[in-house]
Amino acid sequence: MSAPAITITGSPGRAVLARFMKHRLAVASAIVLCLLVSLSLLAPLIEHLLGLDAEAVDLFARYAPPSAAHPLGTDELGRDLLLRLLYGGQVSLFVGLTATIVAAVIGTTIGLCSGYAGGRIDAFVMRVTDGVIALPVLPLLIVLAAVDLNKLGLPDELLGSGNVSLYRIVAIVALVGWTTVARLVRASTLSLKTRPFVLAARAQGAGAFRIMLRHILPNLASPIIVATTLSVGNVILLESVLSFLGLGIQPPLPSWGNLLTGAQETIWEAPGLAFYPGLLIFITVIAFNFIGDGLQDALDPRSRDSRTAARN
Amino acid sequence: MYAFLIRRLVHSLVVLFVMSVVIYGLMGLMPGDPVDLMISADPDITSEDAARLRAIYGLDQPLWSRYANWLGAALTGDFGYSRLYAQPVWQAIWPALTNTLVLLVSSLALALAIALPAGIFAATRPYSLADYGINFAAFAGISMPPFWLGILLILVFAVMLGWLPAGGTAASAGVSGLWEQLQFLILPVASLTIAGVGGHTRYMRASMIETLRQDYIRTARAKGLSESRVVLGHALRNAMIPVVTVIALDLGVLFSGALITETVFAYPGMGKLIFDAIMGNDYNLALVGLLMATALTLIGNLLADVAYAGLDPRISYEELDQ
Amino acid sequence: MTTFKQLLVIGGLILCTVFSPTGATAKDNLVIGITQYPSTFHPNIDSMLAKSYVHGLTRRPITVINAEWDTVCLLCEELPTLENGGAKLEKTPDGKDGIAVTYKIIDEAVWGDGTPITVDDVIFTWETGKHPKTGVSSTEGYRRILSIDRIDDKTFTLHVDRRTFDYNNLSTMGLLPAHIERSKFANPEAYKTQTAFDTDPMNPGLFMGPYVMTEAKTGSHMVFERNPKWWGKEPAFDKITVRVIENTTTLEANLLSGGIDMISGELGLNVDQALAFEKRHGRKYTILFHPGLIYEHIDLMLDNPVLQDIRVRQALMYAIDRKAISERLFGGKQPVANTGINPLDWIYADDVPRYVHDPARADALLNDAGWTRGANGMRVNAAGEPLRFEIMTTAGNRTRELVEQVLQSQWKEQGIDIRIRNEPARVFFGETVSKRKFSAMAMFAWISSPESVPRTTLHSEEIPTEANSWSGQNYTGFSNPEMDALLEQIELELDREKRRELWQRLQHIYATELPALPLYFRANSFILPKWLGDIQPTGHQFPTTLWVENWSVNK
Repeated sequence: MSAPAITITGSPGRAVLARFMKHRLAVASAIVLCLLVSLSLLAPLIEHLLGLDAEAVDLFARYAPPSAAHPLGTDELGRDLLLRLLYGGQVSLFVGLTATIVAAVIGTTIGLCSGYAGGRIDAFVMRVTDGVIALPVLPLLIVLAAVDLNKLGLPDELLGSGNVSLYRIVAIVALVGWTTVARLVRASTLSLKTRPFVLAARAQGAGAFRIMLRHILPNLASPIIVATTLSVGNVILLESVLSFLGLGIQPPLPSWGNLLTGAQETIWEAPGLAFYPGLLIFITVIAFNFIGDGLQDALDPRSRDSRTAARN
Repeated sequence: MYAFLIRRLVHSLVVLFVMSVVIYGLMGLMPGDPVDLMISADPDITSEDAARLRAIYGLDQPLWSRYANWLGAALTGDFGYSRLYAQPVWQAIWPALTNTLVLLVSSLALALAIALPAGIFAATRPYSLADYGINFAAFAGISMPPFWLGILLILVFAVMLGWLPAGGTAASAGVSGLWEQLQFLILPVASLTIAGVGGHTRYMRASMIETLRQDYIRTARAKGLSESRVVLGHALRNAMIPVVTVIALDLGVLFSGALITETVFAYPGMGKLIFDAIMGNDYNLALVGLLMATALTLIGNLLADVAYAGLDPRISYEELDQ
Repeated sequence: MTTFKQLLVIGGLILCTVFSPTGATAKDNLVIGITQYPSTFHPNIDSMLAKSYVHGLTRRPITVINAEWDTVCLLCEELPTLENGGAKLEKTPDGKDGIAVTYKIIDEAVWGDGTPITVDDVIFTWETGKHPKTGVSSTEGYRRILSIDRIDDKTFTLHVDRRTFDYNNLSTMGLLPAHIERSKFANPEAYKTQTAFDTDPMNPGLFMGPYVMTEAKTGSHMVFERNPKWWGKEPAFDKITVRVIENTTTLEANLLSGGIDMISGELGLNVDQALAFEKRHGRKYTILFHPGLIYEHIDLMLDNPVLQDIRVRQALMYAIDRKAISERLFGGKQPVANTGINPLDWIYADDVPRYVHDPARADALLNDAGWTRGANGMRVNAAGEPLRFEIMTTAGNRTRELVEQVLQSQWKEQGIDIRIRNEPARVFFGETVSKRKFSAMAMFAWISSPESVPRTTLHSEEIPTEANSWSGQNYTGFSNPEMDALLEQIELELDREKRRELWQRLQHIYATELPALPLYFRANSFILPKWLGDIQPTGHQFPTTLWVENWSVNK
């Protein structure tokens, strides 16, 4: 019985975990991220405990210094900075995670089909991929910013909720971001489909769909997971850059990107307003990068070889 | 190999043509036209004025016919007139292009000068303290919002320390000496380098680790060569292949990707030019700028493939062509 | 330990810079920072603030509105009026009420290449202006001139087809040098790309101000040097560099690090940035705040059935505290607006409805209009529909975004649900506003000149439609016969006192009917070195640079 070639025999999960735990920076990053995610999710609770309203504007308490009532002080409209940061974290993390997952799903599907089909279909899909990679993101963003979503038949409740800019960003990132995963998956599929276990399955009469799903996809999991983890950070950075250009998440919905952009004009008067969102973006992105690095080491057994190789 | 090159060049030209249609289409899909923007800036424009201006700028014609006109002229070498800068497109692009190339070439050179040694050093001592340190620094550079980094650099080195100018070009300050010109480049180049060096370091490290695992390296080691001879003499050439590939693939992105740095440092380059052209509804300028970026990406792809196949005998052009 | 030391060092450096007098010495070379680069240098194609600003250094209009908001001569000897005989009422050839206005160009006025400025230039400018193919943005002013009589080389009479109260204002006609431009105009259709202003912008013959442009690097900077042929007062600086720095944080950093000497008020920091700057560096710089004719307001979509109810519009005004916004956000530097007419304008009416923050009044009006508070405190009508509006503005304009959020919060207290949806300026002005696609509220500003008749924004014929190719700026769809009549009367009323009455009535209608919600008048903030004096902010579209020869250096 030909087992999938790359997965480790025995108890793979535990081995992977054990290898991951050796990457100390990755472990530390995972802990920090878990903390950030839970704090962000707990924002409403913290809001309640502090007895504050995250959206309440108080023109008489602008730029207030940290105090018992406002642990990190207040922003340019007298709102509590800590709560703004936590709610901003929800948005930034949501954008980062959803967009990359959607992109990964699209990329995997396209890459898998293209690589498995091969031939002209594959060549055509790869040229389209090249085109998408070369596609200018900016005009696309502006066009999408102007599309009348009501005409697309989206429910009014969704559009009215003020989160439109959020979904737009997710959609745009997914639309242009699938190419990396697609190329990766396509290349691996090309080589995997000639492996004995795939040929054997085909000989046994398994359909193309079944082979792709059952035999090829599981072997692609590691590179996809690694690539996706590494790109979450990039998307969070991209969101901040788009905010800087005025094309990002729109207020009053806070995101780390627009908090940072909004604060740069008052960086002299209230450095903290710019410092904290910048720091959170930095920590989060670097954490995702380290986790991606750790996962790569853990999921790719060859890097373990390199460790032993280095010792001799 | 020539057959491969020619076929790929033809492919690239086709992609370029399709992209020009797509970009023109996207620009046309974008709401409003230049006259709408003029109207909102000048209350004295009447409806007759608006119709007249649309006719003058050809905006009353359907999109495809405008594109056909542009393409016809472009094929004869006339890429049109930039409405935003009131100059022929090439005249507007040329200075921005040279500025951007100066910025990008110096930051790429600097980034490689740091990344290659750091990557090799880390690869020869994987999982050592030095490796962790280099990894950390590499990720730290990648993980900073670029405009935030730029502003921090300006705050510290221009405003607090007063060592360097806070943006602009030497010409804008009316100085022309070599040192003065360099001074204006230091902060933007540093900002781009910090953001770029991490990626290159990581690629170099990964690629070197991979190469050092190869059999021929073991053989070299077995022959009793010193470790530095092994790494620099034998492994480096092969380890460079993926790094060069990645740089080539990134050409197009580099080209327009300096937008943020250019904006923060008031440095008039291509990224800013393209962005302003899009925002200011300057079809011709935006189209040519974006097409140049696309062309660079395609050339980069081609170069990457050529380098890949040329440097690594295990890969054939036929394989790449599939 | 090391980090602590480093912190100390950096801290020390901060102190040093705070107390050291950087860049505070007078010099022959002035460097000005602005935030925008002009797109074309042709004076009559595409109106743009950055262009007016640099043209102020190099060019002079025939007449101009000065800092006291009076129309005065710059290129002419004496302002023609009906009283001094320079202007005479007459009938047009087809028997309508017309006017003849005679100007005399200053004798010594010459172009920068020494060619005298003559009536030929005026006639040539008029010909290009009214020609339909030249690409001149606004031709209305030129088409109103029926003919130009040449009295002598320097004197001309305009025959205008109507008697407007500003008959002697020639400020929007940007004089063109016929001796350079005539050959470029041979093919009118190609003129907009052939004009020497863009093909040869450093030609001194294009200029007639105290400075000529000697260098222009697109998107970066422009350099101006003394015009040896300038006939007026000698300016204080040999050279003026105008640097374009779009990012205001970088702009400020350049000022602090000595890269620029001053930040222009016309295109510089917004008021809250300037206020913050004043707090930290007020002792080292002169900071002038000057409220002007930039009218920030919210256009209401009057096709929206909910907003058609005047009680709802008035309640929206009573529900917000514009005084608090002006004082808390803008340090009181940006006065609250009652209508689009600035209190500094002589036609300003004092007795219009003012809508001071009055929650009780807003509550009563809304209840009266059938919008009562529901279970969660938000208002609903009898059918259970929520009182909900969408507000839009230009994304990335931080001040507007802040004001928007304050208003949202204040309206929420009145049970009015406001959804914010901002768009890039490109989309907002290019489509949403100009094609009337906003559903309820659009926040933006009008920049106007003193006593400018708001015909394009309030006349019912100026509502943009597909049929008029979306021209006109009555985006709200305001249609009021009395307002239409007033707008037409005011323009043609030559008697100042009678005109004032019409203006009062106009403001009264505006403030009562509320086609738009007036917010405040924006202020320009000038940040100048202590050694620079006599810059007089105007508060309207004519920039301070038009009087650059008066700027002085206190040694």
